[in-house]
Amino acid sequence: MPFETGPDSDPVVVISELGMTYHAPVRTAGLKAAFRALWRREYQRIEAVADVSFRLTAGEIVGFLGPNGAGKTTTMKILSGILHPTGGEALVLGYTPKRRQPAFLKQIALLRGSQPIDGPIELTVLDNLHYRRLLYDVPQRQFQTNVDELTDMLDLESLLLRQVRALSLGERMRAGLAVALLHRPRVLFLDEPTIGLDASAAMAFRRSIATYASRTAATVLLTSHYMTEVEALCSRVILIDKGRLRYDGNLAALATHLSPYKLLRVTTADISEPVAWDSYGEPENSDPNQCAPNQVILRVHRQDAPRITSRLLAEVPIADLTVADPPLETVMDEFYRAGVA
Amino acid sequence: MIRMLRLVGLSIWRQSLSQWSWRSFLITIVIGQSVTPLLGLLVWSAALPGDSQVSTYYVALLAVQLMTASYEHHTLSNGIYDGTLARALVQPQPVVIDVIGSNLGLRIWHLIFGLPLIAIAAVVAGAQIDVYEGMLALPAVVIAGALRFVFTYLLALSALWTERAHGVVGLGETLIFLLGGTAAPLGYLPEPFRSVGQALPFWSMLGLPAEIAAGTIHGAALSQAYAVQLGWLVVLTALAAVIWRVGLRRFAAVGA
Repeated sequence: MPFETGPDSDPVVVISELGMTYHAPVRTAGLKAAFRALWRREYQRIEAVADVSFRLTAGEIVGFLGPNGAGKTTTMKILSGILHPTGGEALVLGYTPKRRQPAFLKQIALLRGSQPIDGPIELTVLDNLHYRRLLYDVPQRQFQTNVDELTDMLDLESLLLRQVRALSLGERMRAGLAVALLHRPRVLFLDEPTIGLDASAAMAFRRSIATYASRTAATVLLTSHYMTEVEALCSRVILIDKGRLRYDGNLAALATHLSPYKLLRVTTADISEPVAWDSYGEPENSDPNQCAPNQVILRVHRQDAPRITSRLLAEVPIADLTVADPPLETVMDEFYRAGVA
Repeated sequence: MIRMLRLVGLSIWRQSLSQWSWRSFLITIVIGQSVTPLLGLLVWSAALPGDSQVSTYYVALLAVQLMTASYEHHTLSNGIYDGTLARALVQPQPVVIDVIGSNLGLRIWHLIFGLPLIAIAAVVAGAQIDVYEGMLALPAVVIAGALRFVFTYLLALSALWTERAHGVVGLGETLIFLLGGTAAPLGYLPEPFRSVGQALPFWSMLGLPAEIAAGTIHGAALSQAYAVQLGWLVVLTALAAVIWRVGLRRFAAVGA
């Protein structure tokens, strides 16, 4: 698998041959094994992250993709100082994250979709913002400016005086994002931030992230299983699987990189004439919602696409024909299920 | 240091607000904390009728119990189990600040909800706390509070190794009950149990301030008791710092 490196200029996050290995206790089933394990424990070595290297520059929004258990959250935890790597090096803004220096922590934010806002839920959103101001030493004048900006960007006006407990999930996420952005972090780690949000709330969230990144040149590392989100925000993606880096490069090239197929959407001019589609490629349009009665989607090998297209144009009465990469969602699904190694 | 104190103050405010939302439960745990000193009061008043010192001791013990109650197995240990610790590690403040804030918030509520109980017990039992003795006991209460917090915090850190931190803290609570002066006032125990009990940290966490308030310790014995109390605070704090570092390394290695 070719390895494309990220941009070299002005790196904000630098990971070099990063590794994280756990030793998980294991034992065979049964009472005897349980007793034996009391004085002689056996461990299994688990490589959560292995030899991962990449760089992120200022202002980049990078999608960090991979199936469950691929090592995404572990990498993010290493980058935010929660976990200590067992191999390699990580530098964020010139700091070694595991040292958890206050000057470093004041420049980053980690937002998890599963727990968008910290602390007692009895506090109001404004209480949380004030707490954040004191915790991150945000000057009062800067605080007011930032709150005004965030209120505008995240449509917070109606939420500021409400208790967190009374907010819906989407509102909590907006409030959580406001709290996370109050100190204007230069690096933002977003771990599945829109999980559980409805389409409208997720879109509003994406807009806010894009606006924040463009205004502040913050670096954003985003993990998400929603490809629409990744396509909306990230021009670059890093793909990780079983702890190893599989792809680092342009999002547009990912489908080309992962899938050996192209999709030909063919609309015939005359539906009364039967066509032996199997002789051109693998028909895909089993879903009648996706295709009209006179349409078929053919899956063909990438290198065969020009030849098949020519044949179709010559042999079949065509009303329309488009050639496209398979949807990223489908490509990722195949990748998650089969792997690309 | 000023920043730390501000953060602790802020944390007390946040945590106590949160705790107020489950005030009904707070009342039940205040009653739970009061049961053993009140039982001691009943039993020992029956055993030593007319001894106002023992009544005063147990009423003072009730107040100390409420002012030093510690629940780090619920705050810190549960935070380790549910991932709150990971989030706390990303914040630019020592993790212990919020644990202290939660502890002090709870103690404030314990005292507020427990005051009527203390007053009723004092009147019914005929407790006679001298103002001077009470003032003399105040530093001991503060140190006892710190000591009991550090002790419980230390045991609660076992959550970094085991899923049974509640059991570990429970064992500590039992030792405090047995050897701290609740089951029996140490002053009434024969030697060498009394001296051994006084040298252990448990009495310093609970019984000592109550004995000072009841006027059973004076002069050189009082200075010696304060020295033991401070000594244990230094030792346990140092131990907690070491265990925290070792535990954090483990947490950072496996995510706990």
